[in-house]
Amino acid sequence: MKSALDALSMRQRVIADNIANVNTPGFLAGRVQFEDALAKAVSAGRDAVVTPQVQRSLEPTRENGNNVNLDTETLSNIDTNLRYQVAVRSIDGGFSAIRTAIRSA
Amino acid sequence: MGTFDAIGIASTGLTVHRKWLDAVSDNLANANNVSSTDGTAFQARYVVATSMDYGEPAGVQVAGIELGDPEGRLVHEPDHPLADEDGYVRYPDFDMASQMTQLIMAQRGYQASAAVVDRARESYQSALQIGKN
Repeated sequence: MKSALDALSMRQRVIADNIANVNTPGFLAGRVQFEDALAKAVSAGRDAVVTPQVQRSLEPTRENGNNVNLDTETLSNIDTNLRYQVAVRSIDGGFSAIRTAIRSA
Repeated sequence: MGTFDAIGIASTGLTVHRKWLDAVSDNLANANNVSSTDGTAFQARYVVATSMDYGEPAGVQVAGIELGDPEGRLVHEPDHPLADEDGYVRYPDFDMASQMTQLIMAQRGYQASAAVVDRARESYQSALQIGKN
């Protein structure tokens, strides 16, 4: 879960970078991929730790060599924000279960 | 990697777009500056932005300012006190339509980065709630 939180936070930063560079000539949008790697690590039963990778988008660029799409970045920003909050809830749930167990003892 | 990096990165976007807005508004404010043919015309300012990347995404910065054409365009205004013996003065030579387009682009870019600040703040706020209940 912590891996997911770290990766989502990384994605949040990369989106901030993409949107900050929405008008920078020659800038290629960054993408953070971690879901597949994390799902694999979880199903393999190993300690589910993944390092998120930043890749540069190879989508066609505009005439100034920039390929940031403000609409997809904004959607991804909202999506990542919500996912992050879900991850926080779930971690928080784990902690409060532990706390309940401590109290009942 | 700082704790609240997304906000910092978005703020670099705010800074660059604000500088761009400043440059465009300066250009527009000086659109009708007249100078004599001995001197140079008002030179429009163009902000050059480059992305920053120190292995991690780090936002955007102003790499420099490019100046427009010092020649300007010669206009025949014999009545003008600054006119030379042939009756010409210099006006700045930049495209008004392009400046207005840049104004909109800079404004929208600024708004987009401002929205990112809001969303990043929401995420961090939720992280601060871990372990509260």
